Amino acid sequence: MRRIILRRLLQAIPLILGVIVLNFALIQMAPGTMLDVITSEQQVSDPEQLEHLRRLYGMDQPSIVQLWNYILSVFRLDLGYSYRHGAPVIDVITAHLPATLILMLTSILLAAIVGVAAGVASSLKVNTIWDALISLCAVFFFAAPTFWLGIMLIIIFSVHLGWFPVGGMRTIGGDPGLFGATLDLLRHLALPAITLGLFYAAIYARVMRASMLEVQGLDFVRTARAKGLSPFRVTVAHVLRNALLPVVTLLGLQLSTVLGGSVVVEAVFNWPGIGSLMVDAVMSRNYPVVLGIFVLSACVVIVANLIVDLAYARLDPRIRAR
Amino acid sequence: MKRFGRRTFLTFVSASAALLQLSGLPAAQAQTPKNGGTLVATWGGFEPQALFVPAGGGGAPEFTSTKVLEPMLTLDSDLNFHPALATDVTPASDFLSYKIKIREGVTWHDGKPLTVDDIIFNADKYWKPVVAGPALQFYTGIKQTGPNEVTVSFSQPTPEFFFKSVLARVLVIPKHLYDGKEFATNPANNVPIGTGPFKFKEWVRGSHVAYTKNENYWNKGEPHLDNLIIRYWRDPSSRTAAMEAGELQMGVFNPVPAADIKRLVDSGKFVASSSGYLTSAWASTIEFNSRNPIVKDPLVRKAIMHAIDKNFVVDVVFSGRAKAGKSFVSSTNTKFHTGDVEQYKFDPELAKKMLDQAGYPSKNGAPRFSVKLVAAGWFPENGRIGQYVKQQLEDIGVAVELTVPDRPTSFKVIYGDYAFDIAVGNHAAPVELVPVQTNYVTTSGILKGVPFRNANGYSNPELDAVVAKLAVETDETKRTDLARQFQTILARDVPITILAEIESITVASKQVKGYEHLANVLADSWSTIWLDR
Repeated sequence: MRRIILRRLLQAIPLILGVIVLNFALIQMAPGTMLDVITSEQQVSDPEQLEHLRRLYGMDQPSIVQLWNYILSVFRLDLGYSYRHGAPVIDVITAHLPATLILMLTSILLAAIVGVAAGVASSLKVNTIWDALISLCAVFFFAAPTFWLGIMLIIIFSVHLGWFPVGGMRTIGGDPGLFGATLDLLRHLALPAITLGLFYAAIYARVMRASMLEVQGLDFVRTARAKGLSPFRVTVAHVLRNALLPVVTLLGLQLSTVLGGSVVVEAVFNWPGIGSLMVDAVMSRNYPVVLGIFVLSACVVIVANLIVDLAYARLDPRIRAR
Repeated sequence: MKRFGRRTFLTFVSASAALLQLSGLPAAQAQTPKNGGTLVATWGGFEPQALFVPAGGGGAPEFTSTKVLEPMLTLDSDLNFHPALATDVTPASDFLSYKIKIREGVTWHDGKPLTVDDIIFNADKYWKPVVAGPALQFYTGIKQTGPNEVTVSFSQPTPEFFFKSVLARVLVIPKHLYDGKEFATNPANNVPIGTGPFKFKEWVRGSHVAYTKNENYWNKGEPHLDNLIIRYWRDPSSRTAAMEAGELQMGVFNPVPAADIKRLVDSGKFVASSSGYLTSAWASTIEFNSRNPIVKDPLVRKAIMHAIDKNFVVDVVFSGRAKAGKSFVSSTNTKFHTGDVEQYKFDPELAKKMLDQAGYPSKNGAPRFSVKLVAAGWFPENGRIGQYVKQQLEDIGVAVELTVPDRPTSFKVIYGDYAFDIAVGNHAAPVELVPVQTNYVTTSGILKGVPFRNANGYSNPELDAVVAKLAVETDETKRTDLARQFQTILARDVPITILAEIESITVASKQVKGYEHLANVLADSWSTIWLDR
């Protein structure tokens, strides 16, 4: 186990370097620079002022020097300064990070619980009306555009029923205390998490159903039944445990995207996450923020893959033995 | 579904005004403002990069900064200037200097007093070098001439409306927070300290900016609101839902989709208004790059204008929420606009004849010539206009290569590389033409790499002379005549012109009052806004 962790951490260094170099090169190739956006917004026409800004943003240096300086600063855990925001990049990202983590982790949890339960139920009632109903719902939530689903939920549950707020992460103003603030957060979280969660739940349900049906037909399951184990024990201890492996793979992939947030859901629900920050940063060629998000995302991918590897080892003793 | 166009909207507004008159209630003065309450508002754009961008930064920081920081004067929708931090601005008889009386007893939000030193610092270190350099090109200095008085000097006569327009646009920042520090990265930009009616309370990035009432505001009785919250929604449909659910009371600068405006108004809870955009009127423009010998020929430019139906652009691209442009100065500019200039009616056959005459006949179906059309990607409508213009030009035998780059690329292509033959873009101009609007067409406006300047390369000594006179002529009647000459020359040569004057809409709950008289609802301090609860 310790070897897996050590190997993954060593692999992380060239991976992060690769992410920095590749994305830096891609950003340099994009037409229009951060300076173009800033000078256009600020109507800078004086050549001296332009030169001053170029020096201030470090853009007077050759690209290779800029890249080298950036790599050095990343390894000092400094992601640079966002001149557009007037704040260090890490501060800009961490201002949006809690919102993204809360939304993404809740929706993933919701998706995993609902998706796995629906997939198991569907496989146990295969070729019945329940199976058809669950499959229909899964296809519907997978196919429905997220923005449409979000707007529909808002119209029904916020505008007409008034059960949930339309947007934001908390009620502005007042001091509701810890309990009140938690309840308030949950009320704001419900609709965006459901919108995002249902999409992922649909995928989990389909994968889980197929995996359950495949494992149910294997020899060791027949043996377990022949031994006289109860159907519940056969399903939970033998079929479910083995059928979970593809879902864990999916979960790992999804965890890797957690830092990216969801631009669409954030836009519809006014959720202050990283997705919107990323779009703004790309549109304004705010390279320090774009690179900062990429570097942190790479770290999250590495950690998520490590968790998946450890989960595999836990679920399948054969992997642990290797 | 029937669309809610400009005509429907105007009919609705007129009918509402008539009903108010019949009921004997003057529309705006019927009620005494009530104090208290929290207003939650939004706008049709995104969150700002910083709450205050000293050099400008566009509409987003303008919206957030002007609630805290104030100008010297304000302008109303009847083009009257009112005292703000300056109580009086008087020109000398030769218009080479202005005496400015500074309001006494004003304090910054951190408790320090506003002094003459603050104003001198602003003029010397902020207005001239950072935010209003081209407008203050003849500025020579500022000095204290009384206990609460300064005198600003110019090397050339400076028209009163011109200078007062500058004073109504630039904000006054605290010397004690900005002196000797880098303006662009000053921490105060995100925690602004001003003299305005609202104090900054918090900014939750991605969500909202909150302000509280400035209890020590110099204008006693204002502001009427206890709290002001500006919230950000990226999705316009969600803004509509938030209004319907009562979470948003006001949205400025086209906050919701056009189709939703009628539904909100029909609910009886909201009103829609197109007033408040006098000094921020956006227009869609088309300009021709004079560096290309083909479109440099005015006859070709005129032929192209005859091939474009501006009313189609208004009705289809803007769903009627716009007006066909008649000159390079919008009709919303009641001081300087004239429609009495050369017009190019939609006539594709005439366009073809003019292109034949210009030496570009159509032979065996081959294109007359090819052009690179760039539609600036900062407004989604530009891409649609680009598609329409391409279709129209192809109909008259001109091959078109259309690109719709994103915002930074558009800046680079149009203003940096001049890599276009025809460009579809936009401008928002204040009432005063010099220098913002004149910079699009004067020789001195040709500054490579600087956006919203003369990218078309048009250089005409006759027009430059008119603009030079406009900048120093102090007789307002003569200035109006010079503005007419300015528009006449541009309509004749068509280096750039307005295709459509975009109509901006404010949607507000009926409880929200006191914004109807504002010249620029986005950049006003909102001290007069109140809630009729």
